[in-house]
Amino acid sequence: MANGATTGTTTAPPAGTETGTITAPSLLTRSIAWIPEARRRQLGIGLLIVAALAFPYLIDSNDADVDSMANAAAYATLALGLNIVVGFAGLLDLGYAAFFAIGAYTYGILTAYQLQPAWNSFWDVFQFLGLASPVPADVGTGMVVHFTLSFWLALPLAAALASFFGVVFGLPTLRLRGDYLAIVTLGFGEITPIVVRNWSDLTNGAAGLNGVAAPQLFGWSFGVNSVPYYYVAIAMVAMLIFISIRLRDSRIGRAWMAIREDEIAAGAMGVDRTKFKLLAFAIGAAFAGMTGVFYVAKLQTATPEMFGFPVSVMILVMIVFGGIGSVWGVVLGAFILQLLQSWWLQDLTQWTHVLGRMVNSTILQKADFVQSIELIFGIILVVMMLFRRQGLIPAVRPQKALTFDQQHAEIRRGGFSDLKLQGLGGEVRTGAAALEIKGVTVRFGGLVALNNVDITVPTGSVVAVIGPNGSGKSTLFNAITALVEADEGSIRFHGEEMIGLPPHVILAKGIARTFQNLRLFPNLTVMDNALVSQHTRLKTGVLQAIFRPPSTRAEEKAAREWAMEVFSIFGNRLVPRTEQMVAGLSYANRRRIEIARALASRPRILLLDEPTAGMNPAETLELAEQIKSLNDLGLTVLLIEHKLDVVTRLADTVYVLDHGDVIASGKPDEVRKNEEVLRAYLGRNAQAAAAGAA
Amino acid sequence: MITRRAAAQLVATTAVTAALGAAAGTPARAANKVVKIGLDASLTGADAQSAIKVKDATQMAFDAANEGNAVPGYTFELVILDDGTATAGQYDPAQAATNARKMVSDKDVVGALGPQMSGAGKAMTPILSQGGLATITPSSTNPDITNPKFAAQYRPAGKPIYFRTVTTDAFQGPNMANFFAEKLNVKSVYILDDSGAFGVGVADTFQAQAEKKGMKVLGRDRLDPKAPDYTTILTKIKSLNPDALYFGGVSQAGVKVAKQSYDIMPKLIRGGPDGTYGSDFLAGGGFPAVEGWYSTIAAPHLIDDTKASQFVTAFKGQFGMGADDYSITAYDAALVMIDAVKRVAASGKPVTREAVQAALMTSKVPTLQGTISFDENGDLADRTVSVFQITKDASKPLDDSSAQYKYLAVAPQS
Amino acid sequence: MTYTDLLLQQTINGLSLGAMYSLLALGFTLVYGILELINFSHFNVFMIGSFVAMWTLQMFGLSGQDVILAGLPLAGVLLVAFVVTMGFCGGLGVVIERVTLRPLRNVKGPAAMITSIGVSYILFNIVLLTVGADSKNFPNPLPTIRYQIGGATLDFRVILIWVIALLLMGALYMFVQRSRLGRAMRATAQDQEAARMMGVEVDKVIMMAFFLGSALAGAGGMIFGLYYNFTSFIIGFTAGLRAFTAAVLGGIGNVPGAMVGGMLIGLIEAMGGQFIATAWTDVIIFSILVLVLVFKPSGLFGRVAPNKS
Repeated sequence: MANGATTGTTTAPPAGTETGTITAPSLLTRSIAWIPEARRRQLGIGLLIVAALAFPYLIDSNDADVDSMANAAAYATLALGLNIVVGFAGLLDLGYAAFFAIGAYTYGILTAYQLQPAWNSFWDVFQFLGLASPVPADVGTGMVVHFTLSFWLALPLAAALASFFGVVFGLPTLRLRGDYLAIVTLGFGEITPIVVRNWSDLTNGAAGLNGVAAPQLFGWSFGVNSVPYYYVAIAMVAMLIFISIRLRDSRIGRAWMAIREDEIAAGAMGVDRTKFKLLAFAIGAAFAGMTGVFYVAKLQTATPEMFGFPVSVMILVMIVFGGIGSVWGVVLGAFILQLLQSWWLQDLTQWTHVLGRMVNSTILQKADFVQSIELIFGIILVVMMLFRRQGLIPAVRPQKALTFDQQHAEIRRGGFSDLKLQGLGGEVRTGAAALEIKGVTVRFGGLVALNNVDITVPTGSVVAVIGPNGSGKSTLFNAITALVEADEGSIRFHGEEMIGLPPHVILAKGIARTFQNLRLFPNLTVMDNALVSQHTRLKTGVLQAIFRPPSTRAEEKAAREWAMEVFSIFGNRLVPRTEQMVAGLSYANRRRIEIARALASRPRILLLDEPTAGMNPAETLELAEQIKSLNDLGLTVLLIEHKLDVVTRLADTVYVLDHGDVIASGKPDEVRKNEEVLRAYLGRNAQAAAAGAA
Repeated sequence: MITRRAAAQLVATTAVTAALGAAAGTPARAANKVVKIGLDASLTGADAQSAIKVKDATQMAFDAANEGNAVPGYTFELVILDDGTATAGQYDPAQAATNARKMVSDKDVVGALGPQMSGAGKAMTPILSQGGLATITPSSTNPDITNPKFAAQYRPAGKPIYFRTVTTDAFQGPNMANFFAEKLNVKSVYILDDSGAFGVGVADTFQAQAEKKGMKVLGRDRLDPKAPDYTTILTKIKSLNPDALYFGGVSQAGVKVAKQSYDIMPKLIRGGPDGTYGSDFLAGGGFPAVEGWYSTIAAPHLIDDTKASQFVTAFKGQFGMGADDYSITAYDAALVMIDAVKRVAASGKPVTREAVQAALMTSKVPTLQGTISFDENGDLADRTVSVFQITKDASKPLDDSSAQYKYLAVAPQS
Repeated sequence: MTYTDLLLQQTINGLSLGAMYSLLALGFTLVYGILELINFSHFNVFMIGSFVAMWTLQMFGLSGQDVILAGLPLAGVLLVAFVVTMGFCGGLGVVIERVTLRPLRNVKGPAAMITSIGVSYILFNIVLLTVGADSKNFPNPLPTIRYQIGGATLDFRVILIWVIALLLMGALYMFVQRSRLGRAMRATAQDQEAARMMGVEVDKVIMMAFFLGSALAGAGGMIFGLYYNFTSFIIGFTAGLRAFTAAVLGGIGNVPGAMVGGMLIGLIEAMGGQFIATAWTDVIIFSILVLVLVFKPSGLFGRVAPNKS
């Protein structure tokens, strides 16, 4: 992976790799120990390519086994496509075969003798382009159009058409959560073959297409020779593996995985969820559309039965078996399961029969494993889910243990002054309002969570919001970042109205937040968490992600360097751990990552929701000083905090919320003495005691 | 790798000699040459039941041939391949194509039987044609495959290689429409199909001919064969008050149509193709619901029906389940294949694919469904469609098709 | 047949289909309401229910299509068959939950649902490989009695289905609303953690939900057999999918919603067949599902499901 080299001076292992060698038994590891680690992967892929190219000549010239391999490769491309939707973006799609059907029928209809409009001069241009030719009509004397779309043109065309339907099917499902999404996609998966069956003018219905053309290469037809199909299929698998990996290790892939891990946090970190969900559907569908073209060209016919629910489920089984989200895993899963049913189980049955005859066992002679294939698949699904959910080749690679030095946390007091953090903060305390909240009211049914709240955050200042639990503090943050809709009022950021903007745009405007209850992306690395929040600051699109031009490499490198710079705010607490999964880190470190993630987005204002919750006094003090340093750099901060000493230390102004109302505001010392505040915090009866204690 | 030879030997010869044969990799009867015949059937998934019957009937025929030494000097070996997959949940054209390649790759395979489904046939024929391997299907009825219009697609090597022991959809539907119009004087009809390739094809051709005959087609709808309930559409049909109902399809949906239509319209004239002829239709529909149902079969009715009933009895005795219509056509397909090999062998020429294909073209074989010969495309030369009506004969088993289906007439040709 | 009669007849058809969907939908709703899990194994618990009922009836000598019992003995045999079927299926549901789903209860993502698809495949294929692929004739012990309402016909079996379905659904509703365990169930559905802290034995509640849901699916399977006089390994999928649609339509997790949703889907199927075509039934049903989910994701009657944020 090219981005492995860009992690700067850290001791972290290269990012974004995923190989079988790491998880392999130690015997294997030892036997290849002489190969430099960096070379192993390239060597492995090289061997794989050689084996794949030589395969048709390695087996005893059995055309059928080559054909089985070509079919398996077609399923591998389907698995890769579904993996983008389910594995990367976390959108459970149970109707994936619909896109397979759309691709197949696109090519099928445009090469078979199916659509035959009368020939007229309109079609001359198509004939010139080689897309149509006149043939005599069955009835009457005229000529009709015979479409002759080239296989190679059909691949991108079907991909585009399938993508279009991916978006069409995806649109109504965007608001749906997990299982509902599954059932709606299942519905589309059921509808598609029915439409194909009933629309027989277009598809020849249940009887199946006639005369789908075989692909041609420089005038040579593939015909029924399985070897060229095999090579096309293998090339498609290779290409889609490449695209999958490139997308996964890019801004696009990170956005998908952020949505998978925590949709709300992904939005708050700047990911346009609508766009990226649809993008996942579209790209996944494109893979299936291309596979459909290949499949129907090889078969030279298509029937509606080839695209039913069992197909969608089987592709899902393949990716579950191989490892959801794991590119090499799903390919392996597809090959194993497809070859199991079309090749190995048939042979196994034969061998068992021979064995049965030799030992004279009627049971063995009658055994038929092929018929039990669905049962076997069912058992694989259940057993994998119960005992090895990560699949054959897990998507999440094992992590290296930290050295003693790296584990040793260095306590940094006094904030930081050695870091420049170019481009963060730098705001001058002009007294002008950075964030101006006016008359904001939020109601949940009958409950008023925020009532006509006015808060002003001057540029370059630290403003704290305090209040008892349930007073509406987090709702205030949610209203600012558009996670809840304000019923009334206005929120202006440097003069621009924020209400009505979606969360990812608000982040792009420069408002970044942390979550009180930690909404990190647990199965992404620390680095990836900080890269996701830079989403809106980066430009890499799908094509750049795939082809990785120098500008994209440079952008990615800069993003990583910036993230490292942000991590170094916390001394050596995060820096050695950038390639670890967030899920495995300590609570205090996860709090720090929340802050680092927000900072990495280069905000103009930082919204911190109880940043020190759950930290011990030493850690609290350390963090408070770091926040102070951030403010010294010129970063505006809006802070929710319970610990009054933190508030006193940091805040220029304090607002007190109670039951959705601002009951007091002013300098920290003034507010501490305010009776109403004490009553709100401690109750009327305890007021006197509290006053004494304060 | 070990070939599929083993599977065929299992049933084709006695256990002991087979074990020796397989272990040594030599033919079972050392003196005999082995002739391999491929069989492609959908043994997994939704069509498994009927496929197993096809496989059993075929095996019966080859067993008998081997035991009776039907072709002196040659032993038949059946290579059974399954085109059903878990991926498709039923027959899978892709697997059928792979199986066709398996047969073609094995130089000892000189002829083939199957497939059951036209969808599989369309995927197999280009490969079989290039390999010069002729096949006889017991149940695939889509006319396109043998239609000269699609010769470039389905027989690119030129010669017909797709033979059938069933007539195509092109005859059962239209002839029954003629029968409805001319003999039953049906003026209006409603048409249903069961979504399958066969059912849709038969219903389409029935509809076209019915319209030509001046029958009023009151409507056409499609049933989900897996759905249990057709009362909605049958209620709608009742409200249209047609003279007759034609159902194109096989017994899975057919029995439900028979049963539920009887509940709703007990007096209606009802009929269907050979998918509604057989013991499973009788057993599934049950009396009185099936009483009066008209079925066609794509063969002349044999006055001397003893051979067929002997086969049915033998089949039941050997496999413990009733033979259906396609067991008979599969058995006949095997007989035709055996006959072709026999004639090649008798002529003294080597038994090759080419010779077998040529011999098939000139077949004239007495079978359970009468004498079978093929036209220049591989379709049955005899296009007789016989009409039967279910009439309860309480003295015989109620699912005995030879007793409960009463022969009426040959359906008028169009 | 007049137009009014036709509509009446189709309404009767739709409601008898709907009664079966409702029974199945209740199982989905109970489990989804508590676990947020689309339980695909439910489809084939229903299918197995019809086989268990068939075998039970056959043990009483009811195997053919002839009526050999009547009156109280028939009612008694049917009652026993219902109890056996519901008990068996309930037990099967509990085993499925205990063995395959409980270990996944706290696993995020689609793991549990994928597992239930696997279980569904296993059940389906065990029946296919042992019982065989051809459909079986289900005993038909019920007398054929038809009532004429104008031009429409109302079969005694339809009335029986309605009565049984309504009784079962009523009993379930009372159980969920009134009983101690039912209250615990509702509490668990709202917030599993809070319920646990309040002393609710969550495991027991979930087990109960599976037992009840699966038992109702079993009853649905038996009713299916009695009504259509056949069963087969494939009956689960179509009915199950429509039943799930019904549960979503009514508002998943919502017991009365599932009942009404089932009836609505039955009616849609009947009217769709009448006015459009049965060829498009699934397209119609799924289009309605999509429309409901897009415009009213909580279903017609509002969902009652955990609020996980």
